[in-house]
Amino acid sequence: MKKEICNFRINGRPYELLVAPNTTLSDLLREQLDLTGTKCSCGVGECGSCTVLVDGKPTLSCSTLAVTARDKDILTIEGLSRGTELHPIQKAFIDHGAIQCGYCTPGMIIMAKALLDNNPAPTLEEVKEAMAGNICRCTGYVKIIDAVIAAAHMMRKGGN
Amino acid sequence: MTQELSVVGKRLPYWAAQDKATGAAKYTADIKLPNLLVGRVLTSPHAHAVIKKIDKSAAEKLPGVEAVITWEDIPHKLFNPNIQDITLHMPQAVIKDAYIISEKARFVGDVIGAVAAVDEATAEQALGLIKVEYDILPAVFDMAEAMKPGAPLIHDFAKNNISMHMNFPVAWGNVQDGFQQADVSVEAAFQTSKQHTAQLEPLSCIAQFDASGRLTVWSPNQRFFIVRSKLAELFDIPEGRIRVISHHMGGGFGKMADMGAEPICVALAKKSGKPVKVQYSREEDLFGTWTREAYIESGKLGARKDGTLTALSMSILVHSGAYFNRSSATAIVTMGSFTGLYRCPNVAAEMTAVYTNIPCSGGSRGYGVPEAYYLLEQLVDMTAEKIGMDPMAMRMKNLKQLGDPGLVGLPLETPTQEKCIRLGAEKIGWQEKRSRKKEDGNIRRGIGMATYLDVSGGQPFDIQDRNIEIKINEDGSANLYIGISDMGQNLLGASAQIAAEVMGLRYEDIHIVYGDTDYCSFDAGTYANSGCYQIGNAVMKAAAEVKKLILERAAGKLGVTPDKLDIRDRRILVRDNPSKSVSIGEISKDCIYNHAGQHLNIFGKASFSPAQNPYPTGAVFADVEVNTETGGVKVARLLLVHDAGRLINPATVEGQLQGAMALGIGYTLFEDYYINPRTGVLESNNYNTYKLPSTLDLPELEVELVEEPTPSGPFGAKGVGMSGIMGIPAAIANAIYHACGVRIREMPITPERVLKALKEKVV
Repeated sequence: MKKEICNFRINGRPYELLVAPNTTLSDLLREQLDLTGTKCSCGVGECGSCTVLVDGKPTLSCSTLAVTARDKDILTIEGLSRGTELHPIQKAFIDHGAIQCGYCTPGMIIMAKALLDNNPAPTLEEVKEAMAGNICRCTGYVKIIDAVIAAAHMMRKGGN
Repeated sequence: MTQELSVVGKRLPYWAAQDKATGAAKYTADIKLPNLLVGRVLTSPHAHAVIKKIDKSAAEKLPGVEAVITWEDIPHKLFNPNIQDITLHMPQAVIKDAYIISEKARFVGDVIGAVAAVDEATAEQALGLIKVEYDILPAVFDMAEAMKPGAPLIHDFAKNNISMHMNFPVAWGNVQDGFQQADVSVEAAFQTSKQHTAQLEPLSCIAQFDASGRLTVWSPNQRFFIVRSKLAELFDIPEGRIRVISHHMGGGFGKMADMGAEPICVALAKKSGKPVKVQYSREEDLFGTWTREAYIESGKLGARKDGTLTALSMSILVHSGAYFNRSSATAIVTMGSFTGLYRCPNVAAEMTAVYTNIPCSGGSRGYGVPEAYYLLEQLVDMTAEKIGMDPMAMRMKNLKQLGDPGLVGLPLETPTQEKCIRLGAEKIGWQEKRSRKKEDGNIRRGIGMATYLDVSGGQPFDIQDRNIEIKINEDGSANLYIGISDMGQNLLGASAQIAAEVMGLRYEDIHIVYGDTDYCSFDAGTYANSGCYQIGNAVMKAAAEVKKLILERAAGKLGVTPDKLDIRDRRILVRDNPSKSVSIGEISKDCIYNHAGQHLNIFGKASFSPAQNPYPTGAVFADVEVNTETGGVKVARLLLVHDAGRLINPATVEGQLQGAMALGIGYTLFEDYYINPRTGVLESNNYNTYKLPSTLDLPELEVELVEEPTPSGPFGAKGVGMSGIMGIPAAIANAIYHACGVRIREMPITPERVLKALKEKVV
C-alpha cells in the first residue's frame, strides 16, 4: 500500500511522517513514535485504553486510521505533564489511589480530561456516564471516580 | 508501650503511580529492542484433531520470516504451565500433560505452531502459509458427556477423561456419624462459571539470546523466579544463564502466576537467533490463557436444631478443559475452605478432574475459595430456613475461635469474624431488612450475607521463601531489593513503608529495585494473598538488620551504647538526651568515605519462611433488587466488612478489596465465558461479548475495615489481595433467594436463568 506524507501536531510538536493508509493511530503513536503511554488492549475500540484527544475530542486510537488525523492536534498521555509538573487529573489519580496496574490509566486520564474540558463541574452520574467506555479490571472504579471529581474541584480552583 | 507510627498506616501514593499517570511506565509490549521480531502463534480451528502433517516450507520461504516452529522444533518434554510442579509439597497433585506446542489439537485455540517475522503483517501472512492436515476427531465439551464410556479420549492416559480423583487428604471425624447426629440435613449442587480475568494487558513476552548465548526474558509474571527454573529445565539452560525481568504488569489476578508465552517466545528466539516479542490479541488471550476452574459442586450439611453443625461433605467435578494445569491445587483449596470455615466435627470432601475439549482453566483471584463458600454459605442459609433460625445467628453459632485450626490447619491468631459480622449487620440494617415486608410489584428486594476466611499465603503446602536486601546510600536513603513484579497491588509501596518505618526514614527515601533475577534474590512470588504478610515480614527483618548496623556505628560517634539510641526522622538520637544526635546520612558517609580506614558497607539482608498463616476474614452483605419480569438482578448495596490486620496503607487495602468486589459481581452476575456447545469455539471473544463491569454496572462498593493487628504479621498485617471476592457470590445468591425465593443452579446468574427459575417455581 502506498504510503503518504502526513503532518500531525502531537503533544504540541509538529511531525511530518510517512504513513501507510492502513496504519492505525495507535500504531503510529506506539510503533513509529515510541509514544507507548497510549495502551492497546482489545484492538477493536471496546476498552478505552487507547483513548487520545484529536482536536480535543476523545478518540479510540486503535480503531482510527492515522491518515484521518492528519493536520490535526493530537494529545496523548505524554503531552499532559512536563517533568515533575503534572496535570491536576494526574495528581488526583495519584493522590486518590486510582491507579493499580496502570494499564487503563492513560486512557482514563485522557477521557477525564475530555470530560472536564467540556463540563468543569460534573455530577457523579455524569462522571460515571463519561467513563463508562473505559474498562478497569483492578479498582472497581471507586477511586477513579473520586479522583475525577477531585480533579474537577482542583481545576475549578485554578489548578490548571 | 506502642510506638507511634509515622509511615506505616498512612495513605501514601502507590509506588510508581507517577510513572503510570504520565505514560512513562514500560510494560512488556512497550519495550523495543534492535532487530526485534514479531512472534505469532498458529492455533487450531478444530476442537479435537490429530495433526497428520504440517508443511511449513511456504511460510519459511516468505521474505521477512525468520522462524517457523511446530511440535518438531520444541523440546519433547511434557510440562505443565502451572509453576507449582516445582513448588508444591505434593508431587502427586501435579500432572504434566502438555507440550509447549501441541502434537494434537485438544481445543479450538490450542497452539500448534508459531512464527517470528520482521513485522506483524508478515507474521500474519506466514501463519496463513503453514499447511496443516488434520484428522478431525469427535469432540466433547460437557463434563458428564466426557465421563461416559465411549466418549472421545482427549489424553491417552486418562480413562473416561478423568485425570485425577482425590479425597481431601486432611479430612477429620466421620461424616456418616455426623449426618446421623444431625436433626436436619440439606443438600445442594451448583455449577460455577468459567470466569476469565481478562486483564487489560494481553499476554506478552520478549526473549533474547545475547552473543554468548545467555538468555534474557521479559515476562510479566507473578512468580518469575520459578519461571526461570522451568525454562532452565525445558530448554536445558542452567538458571544462571537465564535472566528474567518482570516489571510492570497490566494485571495479574493469579492467572499470571502460571507460565504464559515464555516457552514459545524462547523457542522462536532460539530458532531465529534474534529477539522476539510475542503479544496475544485479545481473542487469543481469552481462549489461550487460563480461566477460573468451572465446577459442578455438590454438598451436604448436617446440623442440630439449634444450628450447631454436625457434618459437612462436598464433592467437586473440576472442569479442567483440555489440559490439567492447576486442577488439583485449586480443588484442594476449595475443599479446605469448605470444610474449614466453621467449627464442624465431621468433614469429608473429594474431587475429580475431568478433561473436555474446551480452553484450559488455571489460577484466578480467589483460587477456589469463592466457589467453596458459594456452596457452603448457601447450604447454611438453606439449613437456617429449615430450622427457622436467622442465618446470621446460625453462622455465629459455628464460628472458629482463637487457636482453632483455620483453613490450612494452622491456628487462628485473631478471631474477628464475629466482630465483622456484627458491624456489617448494624451498618446494613440486617434485622430490619431481613424482616422487610414482601412487596407485590415486579421489583423484589432481598438481603443476604456470607462470611469468609482467607489465607496469607500457600504455607504449609507450597514453597513460600522470601529474601530481601537493603543497602544504605551516601545520603542515608535506602535501596530495597525485592524479587517480585509489580501487578498494581502496591506491595512495593507497602514494603517501602515498612522499611522506612523500621529505619526511621521517609517513604520517598526508599528506592526500589525489583523484578529481576539478576539483581534480586529468590522470591517465591506474589500469589495466594502472600505478599504483604510474607514479604512484609522479610522487609521488616532486613530493615531491622540495617538499623542495628546504623545504631552500632552511631553509638561509637555519640559515645553511648546502641541500646541508648532511637532512630527517627532520618536521625539517630540519644534517648535520654535527644539534642545529642547524628543523621543517618552522616553515619552513612562516615562509613563510605572514611579516611581513618574504618570502611563499612551498611547492607542488611533477611530471609523469611512463614511458620504461621494468619487468616484475613470478614463478612459480605448484599442488598439486591430482582425484577421478576425481566429476571434482572440489581445489586443496590454491597458492603464488605474486613479484617486485614494492621493496614500498612489503608488506601491500598481499600483498593484491593473494591477491585476484588467488582470482580466478584461480574463473576456472579454477568461474565459469561460462552463456548459454542456444538463447535467448541469461544464466542465471547472480546470485551463486547465478554462483558466486564463498567462504571455503570456497579453499586457503590462499601468497605469497612476492622483493624486488628495479627501477632505474626509485619506491624500486624495480613494478606489482602484476594479477600474481597471470597464471599461475594454467596452473599448475592442468598440475597436473590431472600428477594424472590429461587436459587440459581448455574452461574453466572443471568436474567434468563432467574426468569427460568421463577417460572419453575410457579409451576
